[in-house]
Amino acid sequence: MIPVWQIHRHALVWLLTAFSSVILLHVGHLPLWVLLAAAVTIIWQVQRYRGVWYTPRRIVKYGLLALCLVGLLLEYGKPVGLEPMVALLVSAFILKLLEMEHQRDALVVVFLAFFVATLQALFNQSIVSSLSILGCLLLVIAALVGLYQGVPEGGDGASQASQVLRPLRTSVVLLIQAIPLMLLFFLIMPRLGSFWSVPIQSHSAKTGMSDDMSPGNFSRLGRSADVAFRASFEGDIPRQYQLYWRGLVLSDFDGRTWSRTDPAMYEQDNLLQWFGEKEKDWDALIERKGQPIDYSIILEPTQQPWLYSLPTPLPKSRGVGLTRDFRLLSSQPITSKTQYDVRSWLDYQIAPQGLSNRHRSIALQIPKGYNPQSLALARSWRNNISDDLLIVQQALSLYNQEFSYTLSPPLLGTHSVDEFLFETKKGFCEHFSSSFTFLMRAAGIPARVVAGYQGGERHPDNYLVVRQYDAHAWSEVWIKGRGWIRVDPTAAVAPERIEFDLESALADNEGYLEDSPLSLMQFRHINWLNKIRLRLDSLNYQWARWVLGYDNIQENLLKKWLGEYSPLRIALVFLIIGGGLLGGIALWYLRHIFRSEHDELDRVFLQLCKKLETAGIHRNPGEGPRNYAKRVAELKPEWGREVKAINAAYEHMRYGGESQERLKVLKRAIRKLK
Amino acid sequence: MIKSFGQAVQQLFLHWAYRRVPPSNSISLGNSNLFIFPSKVGFSFFLLILLCWLMATNYENNVVFAITCLLTALFLVGILHSFINMSGLSITFVHATPVFTGETLSVEVMLSQKYPRYRNGLRLSFDGSEITTASIQGKENVRVRLSVLAPKRGHYNPGRLKVESVYPLGLLRVWTKIDLNISCLVYPRPIFDLHEHLNTSGRGEGALQRDEGSEDFVGLKHYQPGDSLKRIAWKQYAREQGLYAKHYADYQDERIWLDWDALPGLDRESRLSVLTGKLLKVAVTNQYYGLRLPALEVAPDSGETHKLRLLKELALFEQPSSINGKAEKKRTNERKFKKSRTEKTVS
Repeated sequence: MIPVWQIHRHALVWLLTAFSSVILLHVGHLPLWVLLAAAVTIIWQVQRYRGVWYTPRRIVKYGLLALCLVGLLLEYGKPVGLEPMVALLVSAFILKLLEMEHQRDALVVVFLAFFVATLQALFNQSIVSSLSILGCLLLVIAALVGLYQGVPEGGDGASQASQVLRPLRTSVVLLIQAIPLMLLFFLIMPRLGSFWSVPIQSHSAKTGMSDDMSPGNFSRLGRSADVAFRASFEGDIPRQYQLYWRGLVLSDFDGRTWSRTDPAMYEQDNLLQWFGEKEKDWDALIERKGQPIDYSIILEPTQQPWLYSLPTPLPKSRGVGLTRDFRLLSSQPITSKTQYDVRSWLDYQIAPQGLSNRHRSIALQIPKGYNPQSLALARSWRNNISDDLLIVQQALSLYNQEFSYTLSPPLLGTHSVDEFLFETKKGFCEHFSSSFTFLMRAAGIPARVVAGYQGGERHPDNYLVVRQYDAHAWSEVWIKGRGWIRVDPTAAVAPERIEFDLESALADNEGYLEDSPLSLMQFRHINWLNKIRLRLDSLNYQWARWVLGYDNIQENLLKKWLGEYSPLRIALVFLIIGGGLLGGIALWYLRHIFRSEHDELDRVFLQLCKKLETAGIHRNPGEGPRNYAKRVAELKPEWGREVKAINAAYEHMRYGGESQERLKVLKRAIRKLK
Repeated sequence: MIKSFGQAVQQLFLHWAYRRVPPSNSISLGNSNLFIFPSKVGFSFFLLILLCWLMATNYENNVVFAITCLLTALFLVGILHSFINMSGLSITFVHATPVFTGETLSVEVMLSQKYPRYRNGLRLSFDGSEITTASIQGKENVRVRLSVLAPKRGHYNPGRLKVESVYPLGLLRVWTKIDLNISCLVYPRPIFDLHEHLNTSGRGEGALQRDEGSEDFVGLKHYQPGDSLKRIAWKQYAREQGLYAKHYADYQDERIWLDWDALPGLDRESRLSVLTGKLLKVAVTNQYYGLRLPALEVAPDSGETHKLRLLKELALFEQPSSINGKAEKKRTNERKFKKSRTEKTVS
């Protein structure tokens, strides 16, 4: 017999399966050599079990440990961030499997597997990823069950096979029973929020907008169909040309690149108004008009703190703040899908009376020595035209006449604005907004570049999907008496871009979606594929809203269900529903306790006895049915025949085999007895 | 001090637990006699849940949160499954073959169940014995042999049988300690090497004659299948007088007494051991032997039944009868226990 502490064959099968599945889960962000090491370890375990290879000696183990550490150092340099941490854990996981010999080691492997599988959720929270984690957990649980399942000696092939599969079966049963309870916990357990900040330094390339704008930035995004965010509106979705999602305000220009004025300035408290805080004095600058619109946004991870919103927003979620230039900022970089609620007023006036000197000078700053031609052009406009709005019109009509809109604009040199305005005349939104803002500043009109997204695809389920190719840049100019107003020079060149979408604005489709060759967006002209695409997106959206963003709706939802969200009520719900669920499962397993000792035939016979007893003929202890029937016939001759017939039928069925029809006949006969 | 407190608590618990599980030949496991508590692995699992919860909360990651909930739910469902793995199982003491002191006793118990259920990883053991694992399926009965060392002669009770299981997840330990009224006969440890003290008495001729001897020829008998070929009377067969077998007989002129009084200077147990050793030696010869103990004399005889009877007498010599003894011991224990408890409350 195998000693209790040793790992038997069935357990090993499941351990190795679970191990491989957990490694495969992380395949996307593990160095190749770690995968190789995992493969070698599996082979080593199999060979060790077959008695071909030995358990590695201590010196080998320590050598491998050192090798792994060196490998990780070479791979990642500084060991900070999520990926090196996971790689380290996975290495430990692999080394532990290598030295696995006793049940105790196997337990450590199983617990590591639980943990490492869970870590995958930090990288990716999509439905597919979550389901694969669930699948992995299923196998890990099977491995755990396998460890405690005894192995019967002998047995033929079929029973052996069923023995091997038994841990998986048990695991499936356990999971199916655990999932309702899990849902209960998930819905009701209060979320506490971070205890300490955990910066995730992901090494994966950041998609999405960077915090500056130079020629080429946005045309790169135009090639990607990745989702940037989804927005669902409480009322109707505003018109397409109103959908300007402001993300960043860029005021600093060095002749080529637009950047934020001073990143540090947002740290100053008086320039940020967090959700729930008292209004800052600069809030008086804005006048919000008309009906506000409410909407919530589920943002894909950007690794950046800024958030997108329609002008002009007020945050309605924790951890979101309003900046002095009326955009939204998150307290932490967005490292995972995040949901936040916003209220926006599309009709507004910001600082119509006048700008402070400081802000005026920021909005008029232009680098010396760059773009002399454009500078001269703007000065000539200034000299001829006194009205600022007419100068704006002048610039827009210039674009409208001679310029074209393209995803692959020619490269630009030092005087990027001059070259674009007077030579190439082909560009994407960043070229237009950049040159326009420069012209305005040169003409003495305060102006700034705004970067964000424009438009979005309307989904049948009344929400909007904004993709990377919707990235856009436009300008804002300050006009006395009107305040800051939005001017989109791209609209003067390619109005289709604003009215519809990027695809209709591009004449020849060049470069469009080039970076997403397999995206379903490529095939949206095929009707049924497009329907599938929309369904999938809807599923993703619901997942993001109900699972990933559940924190945001939990409180309101629970208030609706429970009336009040108090610890006592939470505990009660746990006890009642959770206890009910567990009790239900227990009843199912212990159901035979409640089953009567007698079978149906006996019950029918006892019914007869009861009837006879009420007539005054008691069955003596130990008296068989036949004798009893005889006695009944003697004492109550009018019943004699029937009782004897019933008894005969009972005996026939008891010893000859029952059938449902006969049982029915018997029941009827007993009922008739009066 | 803490340790002694812990021991006191443990004793209190055992006292309570044993009272819940009264002795019986066959015990069916259920709510009244099963105990359940997280195992060490279970406590490590709590740590894992805590770690996942910290990760979920700190990264504000709802998928990790869902996994944390799933692990917690798994643990709760596991309680049921662990319990169900043992509940409804019946354990019956079958028998134990008598052995000599110091040998390994093999106790056989039977596992059975009324309603077919697959039960796995059942671990049975006595205090200090090896653990035997078993599983049961369907309505079959499973016999399990448990090995336990027999430390002293007499009716031996190996104590309570511990039945436990951590199946299916290993996170919870379900256990019980049942008293199956096991009583195994343990013979004294035989001593062979002590100087010969076979006390022979009553020399006589031909008083006893037995059939299957080898010394003196008695006569011919018709050959029967099974008789040794060496004994076939070939002469008669050659004369065509038929197939006969020669029969010999021993003259048992010695009756052997295994005598208590013949072993002066030894203590009780040594005397019993020496007598046992002699008995075993004599029993393989075909001699007649008897046993003389203080206040007991068993007339000489031979054969397996006789041997077992004498062994039993030796085993039980000056032993209190098993059931009474145990009850007596239990009572004194309880008295002691009560006494210590009252003392504690007084002080």
